[in-house]
Amino acid sequence: MTATAPAPAPASASGQVSLRRILPPVVTGQELVLLGVLVVLWVLLGIFTPAFLTPGSIGPLLVQVAPIALIGVGMTFVIITAGIDVSVAATIMVSAVVTARVLVAADVPAVLAVLLAIAIGALLGTVNGVLIAYGRVHPIIITFGTANLFQWLGLRVFDSSTVNGIPGTLDFFGRGAAGSTLGVPHSFAIAVVAVAVAWWFLRYAKAGRNLYAIGGNQNAARLAGIKVQPRLVWVYGITGALAGLAACMIIATGTSSLDQSVGSGKELQVIAAVVIGGTSILGGRGSVVGTMLGALLVQTVVSGVTQLGWPTQLGFLFVGICILIAVGTDLIRERARRRA
Amino acid sequence: MTDTAHRPAAAGPPRLEMQGIAKRYGGVRAIRHADITVRPGTVHALVGENGAGKSTLIKILSGAEQADEGTIAIDGSPVSIGATTDAIALGVQTVYQEPQLFPELTVAENFFVGREITRGPAIDWRAQAPRMLELLDTVGLDRGLASQPLGSLSIAKQQQVSIAKALLEQASILILDEPSAILTDAEIEVLFGVVRRLAADGVSIIYISHRLDELFRIADEVTIMRDGETVSSQPIGELTVREIAERMVGGAISEGHHEDREHGEPVLELESLSLDGAFEDVTLTLRAGEVVGLYGLVGSGAAEVGEVVYGMRRATSGRLRAVGDDRHPASPSAAKRRGIRMVPANRASQGSFSFQPIAFNITVGSLGLLGKAPGWVSPRAERRISDDLIRRLAVKTPSGRQPIGAMSGGNAQKVVLARQIVEQPKLLVLAEPTQGVDVGAKEEIHRIVADLAERGTAVLVITTDLAEVQRIADRILVFRAGRVARELPPTASQASLLAAAAGAIDDEPTPMPGTTEEAA
Repeated sequence: MTATAPAPAPASASGQVSLRRILPPVVTGQELVLLGVLVVLWVLLGIFTPAFLTPGSIGPLLVQVAPIALIGVGMTFVIITAGIDVSVAATIMVSAVVTARVLVAADVPAVLAVLLAIAIGALLGTVNGVLIAYGRVHPIIITFGTANLFQWLGLRVFDSSTVNGIPGTLDFFGRGAAGSTLGVPHSFAIAVVAVAVAWWFLRYAKAGRNLYAIGGNQNAARLAGIKVQPRLVWVYGITGALAGLAACMIIATGTSSLDQSVGSGKELQVIAAVVIGGTSILGGRGSVVGTMLGALLVQTVVSGVTQLGWPTQLGFLFVGICILIAVGTDLIRERARRRA
Repeated sequence: MTDTAHRPAAAGPPRLEMQGIAKRYGGVRAIRHADITVRPGTVHALVGENGAGKSTLIKILSGAEQADEGTIAIDGSPVSIGATTDAIALGVQTVYQEPQLFPELTVAENFFVGREITRGPAIDWRAQAPRMLELLDTVGLDRGLASQPLGSLSIAKQQQVSIAKALLEQASILILDEPSAILTDAEIEVLFGVVRRLAADGVSIIYISHRLDELFRIADEVTIMRDGETVSSQPIGELTVREIAERMVGGAISEGHHEDREHGEPVLELESLSLDGAFEDVTLTLRAGEVVGLYGLVGSGAAEVGEVVYGMRRATSGRLRAVGDDRHPASPSAAKRRGIRMVPANRASQGSFSFQPIAFNITVGSLGLLGKAPGWVSPRAERRISDDLIRRLAVKTPSGRQPIGAMSGGNAQKVVLARQIVEQPKLLVLAEPTQGVDVGAKEEIHRIVADLAERGTAVLVITTDLAEVQRIADRILVFRAGRVARELPPTASQASLLAAAAGAIDDEPTPMPGTTEEAA
């Protein structure tokens, strides 16, 4: 409102500066490379296995990608602050088994079940965050410890048997007809929305930009007046909450029973997606769009290997190569910068 | 902006007046009595040796520490600075030597980190843009750099960003702590341009530097500190580099006690040795039983000579003959095989295994001696060797099983030194051997070095500590800007050494060295 007054003369004199000249480029080189690789892979797979580029094949692929990309959003935040969270698989397990048991025991509405799952995840994530922010121990140690702790908790709830007879309350996230609208799986749509919001947050919000500052130089960030510890608690809390939401998707895409292996290995898939997406494991740099592309790439490689009828272990080989290339280019770039 | 007096000195109150400042830490008097008066729009140099109290004075002004005694007035009104936020509110901004910046953020973002203007949760770049452009212009950075990641800029440009960041909030006093230490000559010109422009705008600048020669090109006045006191304060034009150096050291006489030893065969010969970006054309001969000191200010290139001798870096050109071998040592382990040992300057990160016991830290470099068979480490031999050295070096510890991380700096340094002399080295390179070490331990380390030389080790001591180099070296090569500026005997006065290192044009001692009188 004050801008209508003629007062800020110097501002209008130089006010022609566009945001594009102030902010970093919208799309980074690494994201373009990833997108290119993804397109080439899809075209090649489309040529060699005609069934690949059909809704019947792409749909399930996107459903698989959704929980990885969703947790990947939180993990991207975590890794940007120069941290890591290896407890997300255990968080999924606890959240999934408690929610599944509640669904079996009582006829709760879907919304309530989802909120419960998210709340459990957020609680476990906050435990991580508090220990990391105030305990000042490296995040990998803390989350490694809590991963085992959460695992124990989950197994107690399982009580050495599978949870059977889960009703279809969460089918909104599932593979079936109830799980998609106009061919787009709801779970994937949710992941896309999460990525979009996080992209905006990391680029334009003060709290988001400050995450990069924390990861770049935590001490300087503190001196600059950023409240580092509350931000870290929040970041791990969000990651836990997203893992809780992902647990709902995993329940919905499974059969009507849940066994003790639920979630296992997911933490590595999530970290792989984030790292392949160009987020630096050293902290201070990264993007959620890259994480989404990374998750798509990992799943495409795994599904592609299956659809081509190749031995499934090749999937591990290719994903491993992708990770090494991504981390390698990051480290080479970092060293080149230090030398300069 | 505000009431900035333009140049005329007498008009109006001084920008800053600190009077009778005193500060002690426990029993140590960091500042006994300091007075400093800075006029508006001037560049005021603050000089003194390490430990003279200038950084404490700066900490008091910037609110990081509180004075025990004394008063501070800004623009004529008394102020109390209890915290860094108070100082900033009063317009006192500090640019520290180590830039507090974020390499992955853009230049523009670095300006505003922690102080962003927001609209809702979002950063309001349209509101920040005018101020951002103003800051870029003020420090002479191209406007196009705004969106560059800071990490892609040269060190000099990063420093300009640091200064701009300090100017984000209204600054009337800007403290620059050793801003030129890491810059090349051309980059220093840019820095000076920025400083002059700020002064012309009415900002008062307190400029701390060890490079005395450059002060004459940038400062209007100079305050000299020695042993916690301000010894003089006057227009810099009234002094020479030589006179400033003399006042800094107070004409202290060297306390070196040098009995002439017989020196043996040359152990290290350097001929026109150069390393791009570090040092050029260094020639020296070091004989068995001789201690040669390389003295220079931080960044003089002396440190890199030691690194090349120990194989940590590769010289670009020139001849290096060490322990009878003409090849440049390719790595520290190659240097070790020839009997060359080094105690690095940064012992916390390069020198010690802090969770390991003392005995481990002593013997880790000589495990070959410990075994009865190759690859086998005998705990008994480890005990014997480490106990022997703990006694010889008078390391204060109940036993060799204590972790080194729990020891005082002086004792830890002795342990690091002990590791290098398990076997009598032919050539020992010591970098800053007593930095951060208390006086008693310092004395003992010097005695150990003399003892080693007595037994025939050739010692190369690289140090920025003036008193130390005089005490232990037989000859001193003074480094300045990557070259050997002069060679002096240890009996040379501290003023001559400092003047040579800091870049005096005149080498004539002034008739009345030492004593100073206030010329206010």
